[in-house]
Amino acid sequence: MKILRFIVSRLLQSVPVLLGVSIVTFLLMVNTPGDPIRLLVGVRASDETIAIIRDRYGLDDPILSQYFTYLGNLVQGDLGASLRFKVPVSELVAQFYPVTLFLVVYSIVLILPPVILLSVWSAKRPNGPADQIIRIVGVIGLAMPVFWVGLLFARFFGVTLGLFPVSGFGTTIPEHFLHLFLPSLTTAIWVVPILTRNLRSALLDEMNRDYVTAGMSKGLGAPQVFRTHVFPNSLLPTLNLFAVIVAYLLGGSVIVETVYAVPGMGKLMVDSILARDYFVVQGATLVFALTTIVVMLAVDILSALIDPRINT
Amino acid sequence: MINAKGLVIVTFATATLAGGAIAQDIVRIASPNKVTTLDPIASAAAGNIEAFGQLYARLLRKDAEGKLQPALAESWTVSDDGLTYTFELRDAKFSDGSEITAEDVAFSLNRVAKDEASAYPAAYAPVSAFTAVDEDTVSLTLDYPSAPMLSYMEIFNAGIVSKDDVEARGEDAFAADPVSSGPFMVDVWKPNDRLTLKANPNYWREGYPKVAGADLIEVQDDNTRTSMMLAGEIDANRGVPFAQVDEVDASDSVNVPLSPSTLIYGVMPNHTKPPFDNLNVRKAAAMALNREATTKAMTLGKAVVANSTLPNALTYHNADIAPPAYDPAAARELLESEDALGAEITLMITPTFEQAATLLKAQWDAAGFKTTVERVDGGLWWDRLTKGDYQVTINWWYNETEDPDLAVRWAVCGSCGNNSYYTNYNNEDVNQMVEDALREQDDAKRGALYKEIQRISTEELAQIPLYYPPFANAYSTRIKGLTLTPALQWTLEETEIVN
Repeated sequence: MKILRFIVSRLLQSVPVLLGVSIVTFLLMVNTPGDPIRLLVGVRASDETIAIIRDRYGLDDPILSQYFTYLGNLVQGDLGASLRFKVPVSELVAQFYPVTLFLVVYSIVLILPPVILLSVWSAKRPNGPADQIIRIVGVIGLAMPVFWVGLLFARFFGVTLGLFPVSGFGTTIPEHFLHLFLPSLTTAIWVVPILTRNLRSALLDEMNRDYVTAGMSKGLGAPQVFRTHVFPNSLLPTLNLFAVIVAYLLGGSVIVETVYAVPGMGKLMVDSILARDYFVVQGATLVFALTTIVVMLAVDILSALIDPRINT
Repeated sequence: MINAKGLVIVTFATATLAGGAIAQDIVRIASPNKVTTLDPIASAAAGNIEAFGQLYARLLRKDAEGKLQPALAESWTVSDDGLTYTFELRDAKFSDGSEITAEDVAFSLNRVAKDEASAYPAAYAPVSAFTAVDEDTVSLTLDYPSAPMLSYMEIFNAGIVSKDDVEARGEDAFAADPVSSGPFMVDVWKPNDRLTLKANPNYWREGYPKVAGADLIEVQDDNTRTSMMLAGEIDANRGVPFAQVDEVDASDSVNVPLSPSTLIYGVMPNHTKPPFDNLNVRKAAAMALNREATTKAMTLGKAVVANSTLPNALTYHNADIAPPAYDPAAARELLESEDALGAEITLMITPTFEQAATLLKAQWDAAGFKTTVERVDGGLWWDRLTKGDYQVTINWWYNETEDPDLAVRWAVCGSCGNNSYYTNYNNEDVNQMVEDALREQDDAKRGALYKEIQRISTEELAQIPLYYPPFANAYSTRIKGLTLTPALQWTLEETEIVN
């Protein structure tokens, strides 16, 4: 019951957050110079035509009244319609969001096993050869720009070896796995080193605690101390970092989505910003904000399950 | 426990299984240009132009040699005064099986000519009305003669839509999933991702299209499209960067023919802002530029240096003129004599012109300008350009037709609504000649007018022309017969899959 009350209160707290996000996005968008209509109807359209179409879209109304119209619709669950495509924003989100979600979950699946393996391996003999190699390889992974890695992978695994598709999302679930393999791998390349370093140092910290000595002196074997005490205790800081990274991946998916032509939210967002498609940018930002809130909430609950001392 | 290696193997297995499912009978085209609407009057942006041609048949069509041929109109007559056109329609059907009637034709063409939301009605300015005379006869009456009018019955926004469809479902629904009259119809449209077309079984041309469908895929990144092409995931790439043409062309399964376009790249000075309101300063800016070397650097020698304010692929292109030749010392003297040495100028660019900006700045500064480069995104660029809020910028344009009428109206006419591509170049004589040339029925006289317009506007440096690039599109050897016409139309209906 306590956890249910916690979830409800957190979700209630998210209402003002979302409101704030919508105001900031709206102000940023209307203050960004650039006319969506000219980009929409083509550059040769005359100024009169553009004025007529602007008026049809209600873009000449005062900004405050535009915002309240938007907010009014939002409260009723209506995200508005895309200026470019004249289709509801919710339809676009429904089309693009699952792709990005799939990509992020797939990346997580590729990220977690190596993180755990490598950090435990590193921490076993700090500064030993394995630790050094893992650290150096990690630094290289971190140092390579994502779009460059993406390009190299596409050319090597896709073109030269012909193992994986270099673009798109496919239509069936096995195809999704196939098409998103390189994008997920590219993401993993820079996330794995960050989490590995974090988890490794947490492991080392925990391994030097008194309770380890106490456990060992009472005759618990090293493997058991590690499994039941050191490892769970070390997970918490990494889990929080992990939550931040997941939230970042959802919003930051744009680079891999561009390099691999994946029709996801990042692409939708960037294209909409460039085209000044106000309501899509608004809707997408709100969806990102909501996702971040949910991820953070999930991690808090997970932390409480791992360590009951954490008070939800 | 699942580990990374295991997953690769699993994914691998699915790869082998899924390999056979790739559609073999459709043509996949990746383009950076976006499809945002399927209503032919609603937009004149490149991505939409390229899609309209597949969905809507026109009264006339162009054959491979660029000659006008009958399409929905079987035959036509033009009155002696050039004010009345009569088109006889053939028996043809829309994709839903209904007849294409004279009513539909009149409705579609009046819509593009007269609807206030028609994005680009410039070609139809002389139109008084299109009327359905009977079931299969349409007459067009003009307020004044227009020499290229017949050829305008072939352009991208002259497509025939179904009156019943537009009226029954409303323009918004129609714009997303129209009843079509062209070689293809909409299968699925995923806005911001791809337009999937399937063959229209009722298309009037017997035996066309030869493929079952086509995918127009939006892929912004040049490198991604190249990877997709090399990996065999697409059959055509709309736009290979010149730096990659040789690499891609070297691949066994891909060709990159350079084909004629109506594109022109140029420097655009703002004629109402100092210092470029002064012709001698514009001349100095032109003489400071080694246009041959600049063209070579930007296109790796794959483009022709421009000599006129109009594209060289247009009819009546004037080959006998040229902007002032490269002479940085003379440019400096000219600036000195105008007391403009050290003039501070701001070059506004979008990110695609980073290299051009570097080249221009170096050459201008060497001749005595002080250049600052200002970077803006596309949306802001158009905003600033149309408001005249810039000193000098650089961009390209193309003409949708090979007739120069729309081109001169766009690029060098100060009274045609776009202020000479918003450079505010305004020469009364040129403006008058633009109108005269439209009405002139004698081909030789008409040509002379357009050559004169080019001579004056090049001499006065309405814009400083840089180069005429070809289309550099990549095509897979899997297909045959696909090309992009200078009017931005894919020849998809003639395309075949060969292996």
